[in-house]
Amino acid sequence: MEPAEILSNPGGAIGVGWLMIVLPLLGAAVLLLGGRRTDKWGHYFGVLMALASFVVAALVFFQLLGFAPGERRRGVSLYEFIPGVADMGLLIDPLSVSFALLITGVGSLIHIYSIGYMSHDHDRRRFFAYLNLFVAAMLLLVLADNYVALFVGWEGVGLASYLLIGFWQFKPTAATAAKKAFVVNRVGDFGLLVAIFIMFTSFGSVAFGEVFAKAGAESQGTITAIGLLLLLGACGKSAQLPLQSWLLDAMEGPTPVSALIHAATMVTAGVYLVVRSGAAFFPGEGTASLVVTIVGVATLLAGAIIGTAKDDIKKALAGSTMSQIGYMMLAAGLGPVGYAFAIAHLISHGFFKANLFLGAGSVMHAMNDQVDMRKYGGLRKYLPITFITFFIGYLAIIGFPLLSGYFTKDGIIETTMEHNAILGWLAVVGAGITGFYMSRLVFMTFFGKARWDEGVKPHESPAVMTWPLILLAIGSVVLGAFLIVGNRLMIFLGPAVGRPEELPEFHAVSPVGLATLALVALGAAYAWLKYGRQEVPAVAPRGSVLTTFARRDLYGDALNEALFMRPGQWLTRLAVWFDNRGIDGLVNGLAAGIGGTSGRLRRIQTGYVRSYALSIFVGAAILAGAWFVVGTL
Amino acid sequence: MHVVYPAVVAALLFSIGVYGVLARRNTILVLMSVELMLNAVNLNLVTFDVWLRDQLHGGQVLTLFVIVIAAAEVGIGLAIVLAVFRNRQSIDLDRLRDLFEPPNSSDPDGSQPAATKVTTGVGPE
Amino acid sequence: MNTITAPAIEYLQLAPLLIVFGAGILGVLVEAFAPRYLRRAMHIPLTLLSLAGAFALVIVQTIKGVPTKPSAMGAVAVDGPTLFIWGTILVLAFISLLLLNDEDHFVPAASAVPGSAEEERALIEGNVHTEVYPLALFAIGGMLLFPASNDLLIMFVALEVMSLPLYLLCGLARRRRLLSQESAMKYFLLGAFSSAFFLYGTALLYGYAGSVDLAKISTALSANVGQDALLFTGAALLGVGLLFKIGAAPFQAWKPDVYQGAPTPVTALMASGTLVAAFGALLRVFWVAIGELDWDWSPIMWGVAILTMVVGAILAITQTDIKRMLAYSSIAHAGFLLVGVVAIGDAKQNATALAAILFYLAVYGIASIGAFAIVTMVRDAGGEAWHLSRWAGLGKRSPKLAGLFAFFLLAFAGIPLTSGFFGKYAVFQAAVAGGAVQLVVVGVVASAVAAFFYVRVIVLMFFNDPAPDGPTVVLPSWGTASVVGFAALATVVLGVFPQPVLDLAQSAAGSLFVR
Repeated sequence: MEPAEILSNPGGAIGVGWLMIVLPLLGAAVLLLGGRRTDKWGHYFGVLMALASFVVAALVFFQLLGFAPGERRRGVSLYEFIPGVADMGLLIDPLSVSFALLITGVGSLIHIYSIGYMSHDHDRRRFFAYLNLFVAAMLLLVLADNYVALFVGWEGVGLASYLLIGFWQFKPTAATAAKKAFVVNRVGDFGLLVAIFIMFTSFGSVAFGEVFAKAGAESQGTITAIGLLLLLGACGKSAQLPLQSWLLDAMEGPTPVSALIHAATMVTAGVYLVVRSGAAFFPGEGTASLVVTIVGVATLLAGAIIGTAKDDIKKALAGSTMSQIGYMMLAAGLGPVGYAFAIAHLISHGFFKANLFLGAGSVMHAMNDQVDMRKYGGLRKYLPITFITFFIGYLAIIGFPLLSGYFTKDGIIETTMEHNAILGWLAVVGAGITGFYMSRLVFMTFFGKARWDEGVKPHESPAVMTWPLILLAIGSVVLGAFLIVGNRLMIFLGPAVGRPEELPEFHAVSPVGLATLALVALGAAYAWLKYGRQEVPAVAPRGSVLTTFARRDLYGDALNEALFMRPGQWLTRLAVWFDNRGIDGLVNGLAAGIGGTSGRLRRIQTGYVRSYALSIFVGAAILAGAWFVVGTL
Repeated sequence: MHVVYPAVVAALLFSIGVYGVLARRNTILVLMSVELMLNAVNLNLVTFDVWLRDQLHGGQVLTLFVIVIAAAEVGIGLAIVLAVFRNRQSIDLDRLRDLFEPPNSSDPDGSQPAATKVTTGVGPE
Repeated sequence: MNTITAPAIEYLQLAPLLIVFGAGILGVLVEAFAPRYLRRAMHIPLTLLSLAGAFALVIVQTIKGVPTKPSAMGAVAVDGPTLFIWGTILVLAFISLLLLNDEDHFVPAASAVPGSAEEERALIEGNVHTEVYPLALFAIGGMLLFPASNDLLIMFVALEVMSLPLYLLCGLARRRRLLSQESAMKYFLLGAFSSAFFLYGTALLYGYAGSVDLAKISTALSANVGQDALLFTGAALLGVGLLFKIGAAPFQAWKPDVYQGAPTPVTALMASGTLVAAFGALLRVFWVAIGELDWDWSPIMWGVAILTMVVGAILAITQTDIKRMLAYSSIAHAGFLLVGVVAIGDAKQNATALAAILFYLAVYGIASIGAFAIVTMVRDAGGEAWHLSRWAGLGKRSPKLAGLFAFFLLAFAGIPLTSGFFGKYAVFQAAVAGGAVQLVVVGVVASAVAAFFYVRVIVLMFFNDPAPDGPTVVLPSWGTASVVGFAALATVVLGVFPQPVLDLAQSAAGSLFVR
């Protein structure tokens, strides 16, 4: 089934849908411009703006439900952005509204949680300003009806992410991590930007509706090129191979940031981009789609392997995030049949991963900001609520039957299986590793003996932090079944992204599902043997080559250094050298050519007035001469 | 008289003026050469005015304007020449080249370009 | 029998001009009669109020409706483009004057030798050359008249009224006096030289058409009276005078030297106001007077545009002086604007191109005043720190200032979400529509080269370590601060939400130049 037509603005909540973006933006502006005066009430204001945005999103959602399925795509044009090229407008359709609900819903919970988490930080107001800014930019990204506005939002979330990763600037690691995220993301952005340029030159427009309508008539080469460039953008934002390295370092930011930006929402922007552009550029067959699935599988395995070796609780979770987004990418590369599973997994992942991150934050809060899991142990008695909610999140992510992950991940694996058995089995293996590393994480943290540092007295977090955990845990339990059983989400999203004519059926028991479960159980059991029953050494043992490999993030950094940083540094050095040395030493290269020309040309600027006068005279003579030549032709 | 004669004379005058500007190093002489160019224009304007039998005498009016403005220009020019002479005791145009592209100014060792070193205009800080 | 017909003069239409010139004359009277200690206090409100008043009158005129025929017996054309240009120049002049207002840019006694007893005395007495205010007003009046003049006589007068005060203002810098005077001398000699060409061209065109009226020249062209030699030489020499003022290659040589030596607020005024005015005049001459001849001049203008862009962008790369670099950047931008001049065609195409140029002029003028305002704030012991090496690491010392400067540079480079992007985009789009695709390709390449040296400065400011004895950033006066603030704000707003101003430019250009 093809996506539906984009209809006009029906007014009502959809007509004022821009409030979703403007409210948090207003929050950010008030908090940033208000300065210290808003310290007292700033965080409440930030929460209020996020909640208000959620309310608008909910109203829009219910208004949308009121229309027949074929009439659920609504364009709301706001103003002429670049005359003749792009009008700034919103596209309200099932896909964008799903995202808006996720962003504002999870975003609001994380805002509330942050009141408690950041209560000791004297810069809490600034933190909320950035969070609001992020929510606004992310909403612009998903609600925009054209690629340029999407790009603005894309850069906006990048900026917010940069500001929030480096929020604790006094930590040099945080500042470096922020820079790294910034640089790596630019590589991806470049891809997106070039894709937009190609679209504009090929289709004369960057609006979704027009681009998708005209894409059908374009040559396959152009479509593939745009698809691959979009994928590059998606890889940067979603931390997919080969641009994955920044995500692990991004964990230097405050934990609510990791939960909101680097787990639930921003990193899924790549998946959004692929699904949104899917109808035209990733139809499920052809080179671009194939590359998407390969990137997805490679990342889901790489993320899982990294997750097994990390002792830092947040980095282990970050590896897991990479891996889960890999699943989403994989599904998105399968075409219309996979979109709904990608988004379903994205939404349920948004809940359980936010739950896990906030749980980890709660643990860190209790343990004086200790992040090394080897220094945890036996915490389940001391942090009962955190433990229960975390455990639910854990069961959801490993795909324990009847919890969220079970439905969504199984859907992805089964669909992949039908599409390509090799990729399917690799995804199953990934699920097994997930079972291992998540169990390891839980056992090391909540079970076994206490291995705490001296003077640590764990205490349960305040209600303002536990309530969001409870709500997220509930989501982690029920969402998967709600979205998948009866293909609810697929039918809902159909008008926006298209769906297969034949709806897939959900099998409660299937050979592939059983095999997955068995592997997960095996992984969990092995983790129990190694980390549950045995004593966990307080210092990481040396481990095998494979462990080292995983600990070093699969040498992602080394690779990046060789591929991106070195040339980058070389370029910088060249620029500096160029700066210092002038141009004489350079022999070749375009820059040198231009520089040399410049050096030679500037000799005409002698400083003698009379030679300037001569140049004017000669110029006048040439001008008049040329005029005669042209005029008498 | 054929209109070509005064037009050619004007062109010659203009050319002499251009030559003067390009060849003279004395600022006053350059100024005079510019005046010569303007006078060539005046001659041209009057010639064409007569040749075209312009009822409104646009050419002659413009000539008057040129004369007036040339006077103002010379006034300002001489003021600038005087100021430069007071500071440098010279009106040689070729010595007026502190502002130029230093050939090796990209050299990092010369942290200050030659142009700013010769500065003598000192004010209160 | 003894009656004469008085010329009809539309005073209301000319009121902005008259106010500015009137204020200039009042300023001279203040200089002549007011006691020294009172002069500045009288000049500042007089100058700023007259500019604001003129701006208000421009708005009144715009609301009342754009005149459809020239005013003052056909001498001055107050049409849509003129009103837009007037508005732009008045805004630019107003903020330049706020910058100029900081007294320590100008010499206490211009005639005294630096370091002499005479100068000491002037310093101790706290003398300032308050003449700069009326001088600036006359220059601004000239800038207003220049693009509005509908015949070559008025245009020549406006050219000189605009230039003569600027020659003087260039030589009045308080620090680095020798450089300042040298720049005045160079600007003066070359300016006089080029206006002689302008006049000679005028004389030849007069010989060709029998009139200096732009409309009549155009009519003579359609009548095809012969005498092509007069026409071609005349038009070419006229073009030399105009291209000199905008700094197009090969007439660009004065720009770096003069921009560097002149007091920075004066440079800001020249880089914005003079450029806008000269472009207005250039467009009027080339589109109105010899618009019929566009088959002849557009290949030549192609060459000039390409040469200008290339020379500006390439020479800027090896600059080590911030003001010279900005001067070359200004040359490159003149080249980008010339791309729009070439995009002549039918009426609709002309309106598009004209609107693009008008918008570009406005945004470039504002951004360049902002950039020069920041240059005035970075100081060494000897005055402003011009050498680029002194700017290294500025981002670490005063991140706000460096950030703003970087922002203006990005606007020059035409990065999206700054006003410069839309300016460049509009001009290039108009040129593509006008069939000048190859020219646009050169333009884009030149922009890429230009982006390199802008980014180089940004890298220098943010990624290099500051020198231990680096320059200090002075606390800006309210005037300078508001100039920078306004310029930054305008650059952001026009980058994110350019539509209102674009619409304004479009409606101004829609009526095209009256004849």
